[in-house]
Amino acid sequence: MSSRSVQYTSSPLLASKTPIWRSQFIVAFIALGFLGLVARAAYVQVIDNAFFKRQGAVRFIRTLDLPANRGRILDRNGNILASSVPVPSIWASPEDLERDPVKLKTLAKLLGMTTAELDKKLQDEDKNFVWLKRQVDESVAKEIDALKIKGIYARKEYKRIYPEGESVAHVVGFTNVENLGQEGVELTFNKELGGKAGSRRVIKNRLGQVVEDIGEMVPPVDGRDLQLSIDSKVQYFAYEKIKETVINNKAAAGSVVVLDIKSGEILALTNYPSYVPGKRGNLSGAQLRNRALTDTFEPGSTMKPLVIGLALEKGVVKPETMIQTAPGRLQMGTATITDAHPHGLLSVNEVIQKSSNVGTVKIAMQMEPHDMWEVFTQVGLGQKPQVPFPGAVAGKVRAYKTWRPIEQATMSYGYGLSTSLFQLAQAYSVFARDGELVPMSLIKTQNSVSGARVFSVQNAAAVRHMLHMVASPGGTAMKAQTMGYSVGGKTGTAHKVEGKGYAGKKYRGFFVGIAPIDNPRIVVAVMVDEPTNGLYFGGDVAAPVFSQTVQQTLRMMGVQPDMAVKPQVISKAEKEEF
Amino acid sequence: MSRFSLVMFIAVLLSALYVVRTQYESRSLTTELDRATNEARRLEIENDRLDVERRAQATPVRVEKLAREQLHMRTITPAITEYATVRGGAAVAPASAEVRP
Repeated sequence: MSSRSVQYTSSPLLASKTPIWRSQFIVAFIALGFLGLVARAAYVQVIDNAFFKRQGAVRFIRTLDLPANRGRILDRNGNILASSVPVPSIWASPEDLERDPVKLKTLAKLLGMTTAELDKKLQDEDKNFVWLKRQVDESVAKEIDALKIKGIYARKEYKRIYPEGESVAHVVGFTNVENLGQEGVELTFNKELGGKAGSRRVIKNRLGQVVEDIGEMVPPVDGRDLQLSIDSKVQYFAYEKIKETVINNKAAAGSVVVLDIKSGEILALTNYPSYVPGKRGNLSGAQLRNRALTDTFEPGSTMKPLVIGLALEKGVVKPETMIQTAPGRLQMGTATITDAHPHGLLSVNEVIQKSSNVGTVKIAMQMEPHDMWEVFTQVGLGQKPQVPFPGAVAGKVRAYKTWRPIEQATMSYGYGLSTSLFQLAQAYSVFARDGELVPMSLIKTQNSVSGARVFSVQNAAAVRHMLHMVASPGGTAMKAQTMGYSVGGKTGTAHKVEGKGYAGKKYRGFFVGIAPIDNPRIVVAVMVDEPTNGLYFGGDVAAPVFSQTVQQTLRMMGVQPDMAVKPQVISKAEKEEF
Repeated sequence: MSRFSLVMFIAVLLSALYVVRTQYESRSLTTELDRATNEARRLEIENDRLDVERRAQATPVRVEKLAREQLHMRTITPAITEYATVRGGAAVAPASAEVRP
């Protein structure tokens, strides 16, 4: 059998000698493979290393932003005037949005927009980020979340909250949606309040958890809290009073400034009309203006005490010096200066008490224009006040070299120069501080302040006495009196300037005063713009606001009344019984 | 010599395993720390939010409204105030110094 003759132990195939090149070929092939690997390794690790490192980092290293908190704004007692809270903002990724008409309709309704408006925002399908609505309510965000629409997300953003609302709106101002200050101290102190965001580089695992920090972390620097000198209670009270007065007198606007004389701080600075900082839908310029600092007007009779103070200082007159004001008219060149009522022979004290233009001009014309200009400048008129507030104006006092005699005369009773209500209040702080002018602060101060001397202590007291007479029987501002506290001040009523001349029936009534008169603690200035309900004199429209503001402010400051009050407490020491 | 190599080899191996373990622990601790930091921040924000809310409930507007309408209170005047003077003549603490908890 031929098949049996086959020998399995040996094969002719195996017996044949393998050519050497085959093994060499294999070795060379494998060697080439290794060489390829080495080359690739060299490429990855040496030549194009940076690229691969970067690609690796992109896949697991994340840079986290560490947002800084915006500082809060507090009042002098630490009450919050402005603070940031996180609120959800809704955004969409049109690229991978689930377009379910029913759900989108509900969404549009929740966002308070029409379906068409929503569609317009979502129409560009290449985009992967569109804000739908920023800063929505927490409840709305929850409902949107419950809809579970793919491609609709919420992100936390910071929103400014202003719990005090309109009374302090002009001072605090507001921020925009990017948390940048737009008005008031929010704008002035934007940098300090804003802080500085930090960052941190980390490795995240596939679950999105941070597993390792890389390099140095840049910690966020939170914004500084800002404590204002404003007392929110005084501010609120003043706002309510001026609001009521403006409405009752059918006036265009009104402002109140309250200054603490001892510490040189602004306790209240408020205007009406105002606005709610959280709802700024349809704001008008009239609502936004911080009139006490940005509107100037001719100060009228309120300038007289400054002129008389200077006359006392220069020794031109004494408080008891008699001045002839009859017949209530004074001819100066072609112009005539008149008094509202002719008074006859008046002492200097009475010139202020009765607010006689003729008397004031007669005294003023005995002085040099330079001296008058110097006093006006020293008390801060014509100069931008040193308050950190955007848009505070300087008012206008012209250089004394250009004054004609008639101008010197009209300026002595407050026409031909302009000032803001704040400047007027600051000017009166000179009388309240025994002749010193201190810079007024909007920020709470700890240290006692010292000022520059304008009048001597005696002369400041003499003017205060005159101001007290104004608010006493026989004066022009009886309505400035307040129960328990002695007050003094000066009324002013000015024709409003329109275009080139004075507007016929448009007035501005104001009152600036000091209380308590012998040991002053506060200066209060009140201005009512365009009262049209019959009354327009400062003594009628502004003085009552002064009276109530003084009363409440001094009570809140814990100042004991310096005048006898007829007590209305009926029984004092009776025990309560059931 | 070869025994010494073996010992060293085992030592290196153990050390390497220990490194892996430490690395793992360090990562899970970092995760933990991160979570705690986030929680702290969240609570801080919540605290701020509640502070604002508390203030919003105690603004002069609201206090005055409630005092007048619900408690029938009225604004005090010096006529219905007894002023007490502390011995030594010092005035009583100012009323505006508010106590904050």
